[in-house]
Amino acid sequence: MTPRWSTASIRVQLTGWYTVVLCLMLVVYATATFVAVRHEFLEQFDDQLHDDFETAEGFLAPTPDGRIVWSGDRHHDPDNDEDRGSDVWAAHGEPIYRSGASAALPPVALAATTSQPRYESLVADGRRWRTLTGTSLVGGRAVVLRVSRSEERLRQQLWEVLVVLAFGLPLVVVLAGVGGYVLARRALTPIDHLASEARRITADRLHERLSVPNQHDEIGRLAAVINNTFARLESSFDQLRRFTADASHELRTPLSVIRGIGEAGLGETRTPAEYKEAMGSMLEEVDRLANLVDTLLRLSHGDAGTVRLSREGVDLGQLTRDVVSSLGILAEERNQRLAIDVADGVLVKADRLVLREAITNVVDNAIKYSPQGSTIHIRVHSNNGQAILTVVDEGTGIAPEHRERIFDRFFRLDEARSRDNGGTGLGLAIARWAVEVNGGQITVDSGATGGSIFRIALPTGDAAATPHREHATQPKGGHT
Amino acid sequence: MRVLVVEDERKLAQVLESALQAEHYDVVVAPTGEDGFFRANAEVFDLVVLDLMLPGRNGLEILQTLRQRHIDTPVLILTARDGVDDRVLGLDLGADDYLVKPFALPELLARIRALLRRGRPSEVFRLKAADLEMDLVARRATRGDRLLDLTAREFELLEYLLRHQGHLVSREMLAREVWKEPRRATPLDNVIDVQMTRLRKKVDAEAGERLIHTIRGVGFVLREGEP
Repeated sequence: MTPRWSTASIRVQLTGWYTVVLCLMLVVYATATFVAVRHEFLEQFDDQLHDDFETAEGFLAPTPDGRIVWSGDRHHDPDNDEDRGSDVWAAHGEPIYRSGASAALPPVALAATTSQPRYESLVADGRRWRTLTGTSLVGGRAVVLRVSRSEERLRQQLWEVLVVLAFGLPLVVVLAGVGGYVLARRALTPIDHLASEARRITADRLHERLSVPNQHDEIGRLAAVINNTFARLESSFDQLRRFTADASHELRTPLSVIRGIGEAGLGETRTPAEYKEAMGSMLEEVDRLANLVDTLLRLSHGDAGTVRLSREGVDLGQLTRDVVSSLGILAEERNQRLAIDVADGVLVKADRLVLREAITNVVDNAIKYSPQGSTIHIRVHSNNGQAILTVVDEGTGIAPEHRERIFDRFFRLDEARSRDNGGTGLGLAIARWAVEVNGGQITVDSGATGGSIFRIALPTGDAAATPHREHATQPKGGHT
Repeated sequence: MRVLVVEDERKLAQVLESALQAEHYDVVVAPTGEDGFFRANAEVFDLVVLDLMLPGRNGLEILQTLRQRHIDTPVLILTARDGVDDRVLGLDLGADDYLVKPFALPELLARIRALLRRGRPSEVFRLKAADLEMDLVARRATRGDRLLDLTAREFELLEYLLRHQGHLVSREMLAREVWKEPRRATPLDNVIDVQMTRLRKKVDAEAGERLIHTIRGVGFVLREGEP
């Protein structure tokens, strides 16, 4: 199971991460602060002890009889009695003075005493003490002096600092979290807005676009990208819609002819010859239907990229001659002349049958749409690593606005005429697919004399030897 | 000649039955895979037309069992799927030929004739129909006393029609057998029509009897007498 965390909204995730990071930073900061403060406090405490030591030294005075006495009654403020103490011993261990507060502390081990003052922490009667022990010379005689302070007050202060830090930190974190959440929400609200707008745009309303408040910020750029996607989606939906409408129209026409002939034939008794005629007519339509379905199926195989190609070195010139000799009879019927100008040895790496289909369809198209008695020029040459086949006719040409669509499925410049020719409206669509699947390009242009120039450019044999995607055809814009 | 047709679709089975009977075959129709399986194993046929998609028992299964029992009756499979795999599998399992639905009847009949003729020598050097004669060795064709001036393509076309004389020949068959194009296309259909018109002019013009007939929606037939 994926943790809930990853399913939370970006807003919550942002706030969460922000809070965690802030929390960690604060903990580090608080710890460092506390350590520094504690160190400073302890240092000051030891300094105070040192001051106490010097003060206490001043209270010791030698008497004329050679003894040493403590004369520091002023030092012992009754209020401080509890917290501060001073003890003095003679060098041989006899106590000279012991204050009330430090009575509970054990006597100094004289053996360990050195001339260097020594700090020490002690526990007595459940209280913590800090002591400074050292030797001092009073009137030429050595004494051991120890001053002590209770640590309880210091510890109390440190504790208070800790409490402030410990309780303040979560409070700050919570406040920062809330603030972060509010900020994140404000930053992300436009995205929610975009999402709800985008959700509104369904297949039926693809012409709508997202509003772009400021096209230069991140949200604006995102909206522009989404709008761009919608535009492309709309155009392919349009193509699909047009294709579906065209395809159903093309399929429905033969169907209604068949139905009509059948119904008319059953209407009244006719002669056997008439029945035969009717059936033949029906079969012609069935043939057209079957042909259409077959071609559509092949194109859709092409779109799906499931067509297997067997590529080999193909002599484009030879292939073109084959096609022309096969179709030449159609041109002869129309008193057209097919003028061939083919360079030798123009090799392409292509699937021979598929490429042949492309050339057949383009040449057939030229024959169909050129006037009687005209000449169609077919030329094959190589140029800049490309094999080029051009078919130039003397027809009426194609208006610039139709040039892109001429390769679309079912696109016809002249409805009635091309159907009478027995065309399916798919010839050039097949040609385009067949050229592109072989790594080439097919374009149409207007010639100087007004006719059309169809141009097929294919990579030549050597260039095409570099790896190509073998059986993949990516439907281009015009395909749906 | 006994032909077993294993086809579950009633209308198609009827069409096949009447078409085969019209060609004077003795036809038995098995409407289910089970029935087909049983009959193919129990009776003797000269040929089996086998649909691959059958309820009950799959066509491929029937074919496999037949071949395992060393029954070598020629089998022609019908498949609705245009998938290469199905065909290859069928041929691997021992089918002799295949047709993809929808197919043209003349095509099916031609395939059946070819399968039944197989194994017998069919080398012919002269073909004849009425007063039309072809000498395949000398590459000469005559109609009565008249020598026909035919192009290479026209000669091949006429030869194909004569070899199938009396039988319908579809454009698909011509595209494949005479033009050697694996795929039928509209431009080629037009080419075939034009070529056929020219051939007919050369063969039938100036002659009393028409031999080459166009059957609308189906194809062509070379036949003496009315089609």
